[in-house]
Amino acid sequence: MAKKTYDLLFKLLLIGDSGVGKTSILFRFSDDAFTSTFISTIGIDFKIKTVELRGKKIKLQIWDTAGQERFHTITTSYYRGAMGIMLVYDVTDERSFENIVKWLRNIDEHANEDVEKMILGNKCDIDGKRAVSKDRGDAIAREYGVPFLETSAKANTNIDKAFNDLATAILDKFAGKEPGDAPDRVMVDPRRGDTSRRSCC
Amino acid sequence: MSFNQDHLGIIQAKLSSGETASTCHEASLMQGCVCASRILALVEHEGEWALFIFISSRMPPEVFTDLAIERVIPIDNDFKCEIDAGEQSVDVYVNSRKLKLLFKMIPSIKTNNFVSEIMRSMEDLTKRRDPPPEFQWLHKYSGSSTSSRNKTDCESATTDITEDDASKEKMLDLDSPDIVVSRHSVAQGANPIAARENVIQHQMSLKENDYTYTQILRVFIGTWNVNGLPPTSSLTPWLASDMEPPDIYAVGFQELDLSKEAFLFNDTPREEEWRRSVIAALHPGANYKQVALVRLVGMMLILLVQEKHEKHVRNAAFETVGTGIMGKMGNKGGVAIRMEIHNTSMCFVNSHLAAHVEEFERRNQDYHDICSRLSFSKFSPPKVIDKHDQIYWLGDLNYRITEMEPRIVRDLISHNSLGALLECDQLNRQRSQKNVFSGYREGPITFKPTYKYDPGTDDWDSSEKNRAPAWCDRILWKGDGMDQKEYRSHPILRTSDHKPVSAMFESQVRVIDVVKYRRVHEEVLKKLDKLENEFLPQVTVDNTEIIFDVVRYLEAQSQELIIANTGQVPVQFGFIKKPDDSKFCKEWLNIDPAVSFIMPGEKCDVKLEVCVDKKSASKLNCGEDKLYDILVLHLEGGKDIFITVTGNYERSCFGSSIEALVHISVPVREISIGRLVELEKGEPPGGMEPYPIPKEIWFLVDHLYRHGLKKQNLFLLPGLNSELIAIRNWLDNGSSEPLPGSLHSIAEALLLLLESTAEPIVPFNLHSVCLGAASNYLQCKQIVMQELPEYRKNVFLYLCFFLQELLSHANENGLDAKTLATVFGGIFLRDPPRLSARGRGNLTAMDRKKASFVYHFLVNDLSDYVTSKVLHLGPTT
Repeated sequence: MAKKTYDLLFKLLLIGDSGVGKTSILFRFSDDAFTSTFISTIGIDFKIKTVELRGKKIKLQIWDTAGQERFHTITTSYYRGAMGIMLVYDVTDERSFENIVKWLRNIDEHANEDVEKMILGNKCDIDGKRAVSKDRGDAIAREYGVPFLETSAKANTNIDKAFNDLATAILDKFAGKEPGDAPDRVMVDPRRGDTSRRSCC
Repeated sequence: MSFNQDHLGIIQAKLSSGETASTCHEASLMQGCVCASRILALVEHEGEWALFIFISSRMPPEVFTDLAIERVIPIDNDFKCEIDAGEQSVDVYVNSRKLKLLFKMIPSIKTNNFVSEIMRSMEDLTKRRDPPPEFQWLHKYSGSSTSSRNKTDCESATTDITEDDASKEKMLDLDSPDIVVSRHSVAQGANPIAARENVIQHQMSLKENDYTYTQILRVFIGTWNVNGLPPTSSLTPWLASDMEPPDIYAVGFQELDLSKEAFLFNDTPREEEWRRSVIAALHPGANYKQVALVRLVGMMLILLVQEKHEKHVRNAAFETVGTGIMGKMGNKGGVAIRMEIHNTSMCFVNSHLAAHVEEFERRNQDYHDICSRLSFSKFSPPKVIDKHDQIYWLGDLNYRITEMEPRIVRDLISHNSLGALLECDQLNRQRSQKNVFSGYREGPITFKPTYKYDPGTDDWDSSEKNRAPAWCDRILWKGDGMDQKEYRSHPILRTSDHKPVSAMFESQVRVIDVVKYRRVHEEVLKKLDKLENEFLPQVTVDNTEIIFDVVRYLEAQSQELIIANTGQVPVQFGFIKKPDDSKFCKEWLNIDPAVSFIMPGEKCDVKLEVCVDKKSASKLNCGEDKLYDILVLHLEGGKDIFITVTGNYERSCFGSSIEALVHISVPVREISIGRLVELEKGEPPGGMEPYPIPKEIWFLVDHLYRHGLKKQNLFLLPGLNSELIAIRNWLDNGSSEPLPGSLHSIAEALLLLLESTAEPIVPFNLHSVCLGAASNYLQCKQIVMQELPEYRKNVFLYLCFFLQELLSHANENGLDAKTLATVFGGIFLRDPPRLSARGRGNLTAMDRKKASFVYHFLVNDLSDYVTSKVLHLGPTT
């Protein structure tokens, strides 16, 4: 119970086609809840959630983006500054999976070079309508060297793991680097006054 | 944003008569992890004090109506105020009954003054001899608080939260949504994280019981005045007389060394000698580690814990205070060691107070001096003795037995009548009068006085002074969960003229259950996250797709967008630029207001007005732009909402190029959009022989030629918008009716037609050449004849002919060549876009050059220019 431990702020971004479940994933992670009504995100919204990783308190600021095609030129401008990007497709929607390559290219063009990426195949609870096998997800992730998970915001499958994995990857990358190297990273008061003097003079 | 005592007057104006604001200060009220600006004021009314909390609609407030009283907290016996001063902020915790507030203030002298004023008002209360204050005067403020509950007693002034049992829950939910809060950008800055850390700690301390359990530790306290002598025998009978080994040892000595060297240089070999003999005599049943040792002249304190506890000891520190000669020297005073063991803080104080029978008041004073002057400075804020869960105070306190002959005292002792003697013990008397050691307890004394013996014996002092025996050496304690099991002296140790004293405590310490701690901690984090998310700005907009049906040139249309603040905090919104855009919306769109502020629960109507004018028409006409824009509505510190604006633009001759218009023989509306775009792109025209000038220009000029030559101020007065629209319709749709509108409107329509094109009559690439040649008519003439594109040259000359005709009627219409040259100079030689963005400094000089360029063509004979008959004015067909 250190008095002042230092905190980190990681900015994460959710991208992917409209309707793949980006908002649901965020809602599940931040509020531990799910609703099946679909409300298209018209804009950019964010939520915060604090996690503890490797003994550090990390504040995640997670940005949820509009997936609709017509907003793409605008949403790409939000990529810069993101330290991690979740690229989401819908396992019941072949097209959203095919677009992964396009989204990856978008990341290359607009995001920071060292951004951590992760591919999520969402809605994996729906077995009957599955259009994209887990193997195909694995394959494309391997091809681009990006971690991959199948998730379900509805069944709460792998949601926490996805965010924790992505945040851990960012944390590990910045470990050892000077704080200034990390964009958008906030350092607060390294612990002080915690070394006990054990003996007199 | 400065706030100072000058504002006291404003606050005073807010108060009723008889109430005096003595001091005020700005502070941030922590609501969850969001801080909100407040003004605090200390207000007095007939000797009663209260803390007023104000919300100000602006900071600093300018008039008293800017202020609203949020809460009034009476400074009564339930009022508590604790300060935690850090480098970046001073945290002031205000507690009153179940109300708990945390204010953050910027560290400054003003802050210190304000806080000490609060402390002073609390002291006033304790000194008060009158009956307890009733705070009748505060009743009237209970209505203005955030709570609407009816209360009848004094508590009404403290407003809400007071009745709820779940006080811990309430701390988190302090933030009632209707409280006005000025929002800070929660998500972005570094500050909120630091603020959060404090809030987390505060929350965790409130929930301590949920993640700690009690463990009992045996604490051995020993004190001995050794009269400056070295150890001569083993201390085992004193330190290891119990069966079970203590968990903690705190052993204090006084008069360790009475030599001059020790006094003057605070250096003595005795420290090490006595330390060794202590360590040699520790209980054999356990291994001990020294936590700290502190010595001031003859006062020494050594703290040890069993080895197994060592890793649970944190933040050990020691301090000394001298109260001896000059009130400063170390021959008297106190030394102290503090530590935290598990989650419990302990402080051990060894003091040697003033000597001599009659000096009990000096002893009291020494005690008070030690309490006020001893603070552990390595902490921020420094920790004083009283800020510990458990305090053990030991030492030669030097209190004697008064008003009794030494002979009688010895008699009573020999008859074992200690009770009568204890009644005359100065410490007992001073304590019962509450002059010293208030709040401390002492166990019953069952041992003989420990002073004064002939050294080496158990015999009372036989010297000439013949001192009466006394219980100089004492052990007291303060705190919860401390249970004294033994309190005794050890007469067998005969080195000194004092006998050593010891006490054994069974003390409860709070031990953290790591699993539970983590769970509680996680809950606190979760709750704060939830709060933080709830405190993000939230709005709904009634429509994210604004559709305008048909939009026509110069005809403004508007729609309203309703932005409702559905969140808990005021929202500052603004439309922001997209990347690569120079403005947050296209030039044909106007947003009012583009930036504003909405209070929770309120709405803001934003007017979106589409108007295609001379600047935007050409791009829409040629298909370069569409009536389509995505606006980014940004909430300060929050999300962005995209709003799409679309419409259908009805193309017009206004905005069409001269080159396109000369190829169109029918009204513009009668040809297809595709054809129009093709013509604008310069696609080869098919079929018809182009007109020398656009028919629209001809219609307008012809009308002015026939009806307006004698009109005063033509081209100088504006037309009417409605007439301009009628003229536009007439030109675009064609009509058998005569051209509508007044002469001024028709003149302006002509100017607008020329101004709405993508390029002016003089192409942008000739702009600077023309200005350079402006003083030379022949050069100007050469440029016009050789450089201007054919149709634009036609229009240029045609209009100059017409203007010369107008000037020939100057005595009727009052126009002059210079004025017209200035008007048409600006139109023929419209600035290229990049130029108009430049500084305005050179503009008048440039305007003069443009005018002089055109002037040549208004005053010189143009008859030899004319090659085409069509350019002649007058009704030709």
